[in-house]
Amino acid sequence: MPAFDIQAFFHQFLYDPKNPLLFNNGFFVFFFGIFILLYYIFRNNFKVRRYIFCFFSLYFFYKASGYFVGLVILSAVVDFVISNAIYKQENKTTKKTLLIASIVFNLGMLFYFKYTNFFVSLSNDVLSTSFHPLNIILPIGISFYTFENLSYTIDVYKGQFVPAKKFSDYLLFLSFFPKLVMGPIVRAHDFVPQINKPYVLSEKDFAKGFYLILSGLIKKLIISDYITLNFVNYIFDDPSRYTGLENLFAVYGYAAVIYCDFSGYSDIAIGIAKWLGFTIPANFLSPYQSKNITEFWRRWHISLSSWLRDYLYIPLGGNRKATFATYFFAVLFFGGVFMFGVHLLQLSYLWATVLSAAILLLFALPAIIKKDKTAFATNFNLLNTMLLGGFWHGASFNFIIWGALHGVALAIHKVWILLTGKAFVKVNNSKLYNIIAAIITFHFVCFCWVFFKAPDFNSGVDMLYQISHNFSFSVWNAFYANYKEVLAMIAIAACIHLIPDDFADKMIAKFTKIPMVAYIVAFFAFVLLYGFFKSAEQVLPIYLQF
Amino acid sequence: MNSNRRVLIFTLSSIAIYLIASLAAAIFGFSWAPFNKVNLVADIIKTTQHSDSTEITGIDTSQNAPLILTDNTRKRNFNLYTRPNFITSFAADTSKPALVSFLQKLNELKQGKKRKIRIGYFGDSMIEGDLLTQTLRKLLQKEFGGNGVGFVPITAATSKFRQTVVDNYSDGWKDESFKTPTDGNLFFSGHLFRGYGDWVQMIDKTITDSTAIIEKSLLCGLVNQSITITVNNVPVAINATGNFNRIVLDKSINKNIKVSVPDDRLPVYGISFESESGVIVDNFSFRGITGVELNKIDSNFIKAINNEGPYYDLLIFQYGVNVLFRPNDVNFNWYNHIFLPVVQKLKRNFSNSDIILVSTADRAFMYDGEYKSAKGIDSLIKIQAAIAYQTGCNFYNQFETMGGRNSIVQWADAKPSLANKDYVHPNGRGADSLGVSFFKAIMKDYKKYLNTIK
Repeated sequence: MPAFDIQAFFHQFLYDPKNPLLFNNGFFVFFFGIFILLYYIFRNNFKVRRYIFCFFSLYFFYKASGYFVGLVILSAVVDFVISNAIYKQENKTTKKTLLIASIVFNLGMLFYFKYTNFFVSLSNDVLSTSFHPLNIILPIGISFYTFENLSYTIDVYKGQFVPAKKFSDYLLFLSFFPKLVMGPIVRAHDFVPQINKPYVLSEKDFAKGFYLILSGLIKKLIISDYITLNFVNYIFDDPSRYTGLENLFAVYGYAAVIYCDFSGYSDIAIGIAKWLGFTIPANFLSPYQSKNITEFWRRWHISLSSWLRDYLYIPLGGNRKATFATYFFAVLFFGGVFMFGVHLLQLSYLWATVLSAAILLLFALPAIIKKDKTAFATNFNLLNTMLLGGFWHGASFNFIIWGALHGVALAIHKVWILLTGKAFVKVNNSKLYNIIAAIITFHFVCFCWVFFKAPDFNSGVDMLYQISHNFSFSVWNAFYANYKEVLAMIAIAACIHLIPDDFADKMIAKFTKIPMVAYIVAFFAFVLLYGFFKSAEQVLPIYLQF
Repeated sequence: MNSNRRVLIFTLSSIAIYLIASLAAAIFGFSWAPFNKVNLVADIIKTTQHSDSTEITGIDTSQNAPLILTDNTRKRNFNLYTRPNFITSFAADTSKPALVSFLQKLNELKQGKKRKIRIGYFGDSMIEGDLLTQTLRKLLQKEFGGNGVGFVPITAATSKFRQTVVDNYSDGWKDESFKTPTDGNLFFSGHLFRGYGDWVQMIDKTITDSTAIIEKSLLCGLVNQSITITVNNVPVAINATGNFNRIVLDKSINKNIKVSVPDDRLPVYGISFESESGVIVDNFSFRGITGVELNKIDSNFIKAINNEGPYYDLLIFQYGVNVLFRPNDVNFNWYNHIFLPVVQKLKRNFSNSDIILVSTADRAFMYDGEYKSAKGIDSLIKIQAAIAYQTGCNFYNQFETMGGRNSIVQWADAKPSLANKDYVHPNGRGADSLGVSFFKAIMKDYKKYLNTIK
């Protein structure tokens, strides 16, 4: 006999570390239903509506990460108070001191939770200290909301933005639940003015929101999860057990996984926001269609790259000048390249110096070609931005290497444009050239993903070794027979990229009003599809003889 | 027109339909796999059918007719197979050692007698790349003496992954194996290589004693006329006139050797690095197999190997992970039927060697979205133990030694991890710990032996 388990029922309302709240939990369905009902009832009472929104956002955060919700509230209080003080303060020095206090607070918090153990082990390795790593758990979303806090106080300091007068405005900006866990990083000057506006959305907004939510769910929960669990995890965990062919497809698979996971989450967040009357700009624009690495960064995680541009690249000197920080990080970088050459690539001191010098020359080339010293500074500021941006993704050398590779690639692309700009005017627009350029760019990005995903540098190298040395098509039949569903999923992810960016808008424009029943049917089709893949038999790894 | 109402209507009506369908399914016991996974009330409404679905059903041990749980006449106790960290001969008196003849030889070595003791550790991908065996070898050689990595096949899928040997070879070697047609005799490794002007170069990385004299021998099959190979770039004429030949190529403190063969007349198995005295541990891994494949090694050929040497004092067989290849299998009587004759044959062919059957290690599958030990793992291990019991082999429970049910999940999720995320293979750290445990189990047995001869 079915029995209602009252204890389990009440337990649902508490944070469960084994089962944190995400968009795919059954609990989220109820959460969202009750929230939307209250939000709709109080839609014209901005104050109550705001409180409801704050409460539900904080509760979402609690269900996702437990008592770390306190950190969001704490940082909201601190930044709200400081930013208002900065705004009112007329003395420039005090203003600056307050800004520094805010930066120290936010970066300090991020540093403590995210990077302490990295520097502890670095110190143990390099200085032979014997500090114990601390038992620190990374609070969910902290990388995102500290960046939002920083941009907010900096904007207020620069006088570009009048700070929120009500604390609840600020708290909602920070804790807005759709984007809390994985972004996009929202700017206060875009978002805060939308908080106290009438709840209005057009039929097109409704359709677009639905499209974004549903396609996001499919990308994240079906495609990404399926490829990860049934293929990518196996190979990345122990690459040297697998053939080059499997390793290569694991890299392609991971390229699909990270795109679908990340952009899927962003789409869901943007779609839900749209349904609630908020507009958040797109975060991903078919990045693997990029024809060069500069374009890639205009299409990949746009909210992060624009944040880094405004709050890191420009303060570092941007394309205008070199600052102390430019030189400081550049020295660290070349020290790093040298050490990397000696210890990881096992080069002699001479060759490690040659490697560093070659990269230095590469960075100097645009300045030499253009006879303009600032080009030198631009390149370094860009590199430093990529290095720190890489480090933002996680506390390990692999992320720094990933950032460095992208930074060097951006510099190479700059030189390439300078060298070929005039000569390639005609070729640049040819289809063939663009296809070749896109394929090269995609493979470079994949090459970098190896280090992004691999648990350590050596496994990344193992993976590249297997691809370059143990590659044979002879295992294709066995590989295909075992992983055909996974390969189909990777193909679908690739096809998503072939959909033009404005496809959804064009389709929506064609219909005046789609009947509600169609939406409901589409939604349940997704639910069953999701259930189907959750219950699908696991694809097991095989060990191919080669 | 403002469409905010549409959001409300869509959300509430979808949730209502969803909730009604979920409640109906839970109350009326309607079960359809894709919907069960997304049922909104599955966590709070428990139905009896639901809890049953994860139970193990269908294990049928009654068909294992020869399985005798206790046998008072010879005082044997089958249930000893469940003990972790323990090598059992199933003798009810557990104060007596299991590997008597092996331990006697080991003790002679310990007492200072110059002799070679050879262990062959057979397995599947679980010991690939010398995992587990490299630890066992290191510890045994440290305790009882001996140098050298033992047998190394000419090429291997994971030769780059293997830390104990640097193995470089030309691209032309043809590999005949358990998985390909062959007209020659396969060695214990399951391989036979033929080269046409091909070369192989190996460096033994296990030797820490720079003064140790290492014998490097070529293990090869029959060729009717004299043949000239090159050893370290010097031509050497060899006579490989036996069905199986062990030809010493070099005896020096050098840890490396390079060999090339003129043509494919000579069937080559590999090269063995070993000191003249001490413990030698050979790793025979072959990915994807269940142990049944060993049947392909000809009995007469095994005799030839035993006569010519290497002679194995202890043989260890660890299989099972590839028997557990489907998540819902719980009945492994079929494996009993096909593996039992193989073990009986091995036992006959190695009548003077001690044999240990090692159980499968833990392996997990995804059940209801969560990794758990294979449903059938207990019944497979029971079958494996029963095979050991019936054939007079010793048994070692790798699964219980790892920590039993769901230990592979803990190993894979541990930080730093002890196993891969395929929830099958212990990684270097995990295999190292298994090697240490196995060594300790041997030492425990050795202590019992010392007590009996006091």
